[in-house]
Amino acid sequence: MKLDAATRARLRKARRQILLYALLIGLAIAVILPISWIIASSFTTRETVWKNALPFSWRAFFPEEFTLDGYRAIFEKDFGTALLNTFFLGAVTVVLGIAVGAMSGFAFARLNFRWKNFLFALVVFSFMIPGDLTIIPSFVLVRDLGWLNTWHGLIVPGLANGIVIFLFRQFFAEIPQDLIDAPRVDGATWLQVFIRIILPVSKPALISAGVILFLGQWNNFFWPLLVAPVPELRVVQVAVSIIGIEQNVNLWEQMFASSTLAMLVPVLLILPFQRYYVGGILGSGLKG
Amino acid sequence: MLKSVSLDRWTPVFFLAPAIVLLLVFRYIPIVLGFEEALYTNSLSQAGARKFVGLSNFLAVFEDPVVWGSFKTTLIFSLVVNPLQVGLALLLAELVNVRVPGIAVFRAIYLIPIAISAPVTAIAWGLALDPNYGLVNGIFRTIGLPRQPFLQSPDQALWSIIGIISWIGVPYWSLFFLAGLQGISKDVLESAHVDGASNLRTFLSIKLPLLRRIIAFVLVSDTVVNFTLFAPVYLLTRGGPQLSTHLVMYEAYRRGLVYGDIGIASAIISVLLIVVIVVVVVEFIVLRPRH
Repeated sequence: MKLDAATRARLRKARRQILLYALLIGLAIAVILPISWIIASSFTTRETVWKNALPFSWRAFFPEEFTLDGYRAIFEKDFGTALLNTFFLGAVTVVLGIAVGAMSGFAFARLNFRWKNFLFALVVFSFMIPGDLTIIPSFVLVRDLGWLNTWHGLIVPGLANGIVIFLFRQFFAEIPQDLIDAPRVDGATWLQVFIRIILPVSKPALISAGVILFLGQWNNFFWPLLVAPVPELRVVQVAVSIIGIEQNVNLWEQMFASSTLAMLVPVLLILPFQRYYVGGILGSGLKG
Repeated sequence: MLKSVSLDRWTPVFFLAPAIVLLLVFRYIPIVLGFEEALYTNSLSQAGARKFVGLSNFLAVFEDPVVWGSFKTTLIFSLVVNPLQVGLALLLAELVNVRVPGIAVFRAIYLIPIAISAPVTAIAWGLALDPNYGLVNGIFRTIGLPRQPFLQSPDQALWSIIGIISWIGVPYWSLFFLAGLQGISKDVLESAHVDGASNLRTFLSIKLPLLRRIIAFVLVSDTVVNFTLFAPVYLLTRGGPQLSTHLVMYEAYRRGLVYGDIGIASAIISVLLIVVIVVVVVEFIVLRPRH
């Protein structure tokens, strides 16, 4: 049977579509599989936790003998404190970090002053040098300030976030001049313009900044590990790592349970706000 | 009128001061402080042990086989992980840069690893890669592959860590490439299509050259970020087995905060910092938009 050209083209297209979906699904499995295994294992008893991993069975993705033992155990070890601490740190960082970032972003976008380019270069340069690279001298600085094991030692050093400042500057630069001119002519101060005019129309930038700052604080590990080792100030990532390092005593169900909670929060945050998060981090790379 | 002029002079200061002061104190002073600390011997455990030693900490960086070895391991690690992540991220971006039903769902799924922290990713994959019980060896057995030691073997540990961090890194950097691909004008692609160019041809000779600024940006950023890799080494291998995963950041941590020798730790960081600053300054100049 001879196929005409159009049918052949359609077949070729269909074959390509199938291949495309096979690849997309394969990669989706590579993302979801480990996550669902961690979640399923977190509801399993220590004795059965490995049962379906090796030899492997599909039941590895469903809890064998459902139990909350792992969760009960980690909450007895103050994992709840770590969760609350991290939510608190995240909330404070979001509020203060937005205030610091939006104010300076506004100045860079809308005000004229000396050394503007130089100061803005300081901002851009700051996010191109990862904070972890200077973590040891930062630790020395914070220690010498007497800030070890304090809330402000965990919060203040991260408040001026270059990416957040950059993001606000980009967003504020797009706001029509008329919106600012009218109240200025009427005698409003810059602070009034900023609070009453600029902030209310900047919801997307505020959400982007909030998500970036919260995720940064929630996933922060190295800094709290160094500057706040006391249990009262323990954060989620450090709590997970402490349970993880106790591997030799085989607290597997607790490792799975704590990992589940530590990853669930940022995943549930990023999915509804993905557009804002992606937009926020992209600005720093594409327009710089 | 005069009053409002002088008021306006202080307005930028008011808006900028918090951010600039915080950046200077907590981002820039530590850079200087790091170079300064590297000139002293300093023990956290012994009070008053701080002594000026000139460049001897820097000499130690090059002479101590463990420290220097960590630089070599980091170099090998960088030469593998960065091109690998950039290449795979480009492919992933090209893959999801299609308009087919359901693509938004797939893009959302690929975003998930980005939200998960390095420590949790490390612990989760550490469990999955367990040589005796782990899920990956379970799947290997099902499809007939021999059991692998992964993180417990000096030949495989660094590769395993590269794989683990790429689970986050590849989707993260692909976001930048996807945005770049979406910014390419339809006309350019259309005319290539009319000229009969294959998809591969279009990708290589049209898309890649147009993305070169983003590729350069991502390659530099990825390299700089991966220089500071710490959590997976700290949590999974502690630099082993046989120093095969002994990366610079872990060595700096070990020297500075486990053994309390901030001087040598600062010297290690300073060497890395000089490399990073040079790279970033060059990037700054090369990628600067031309007006």
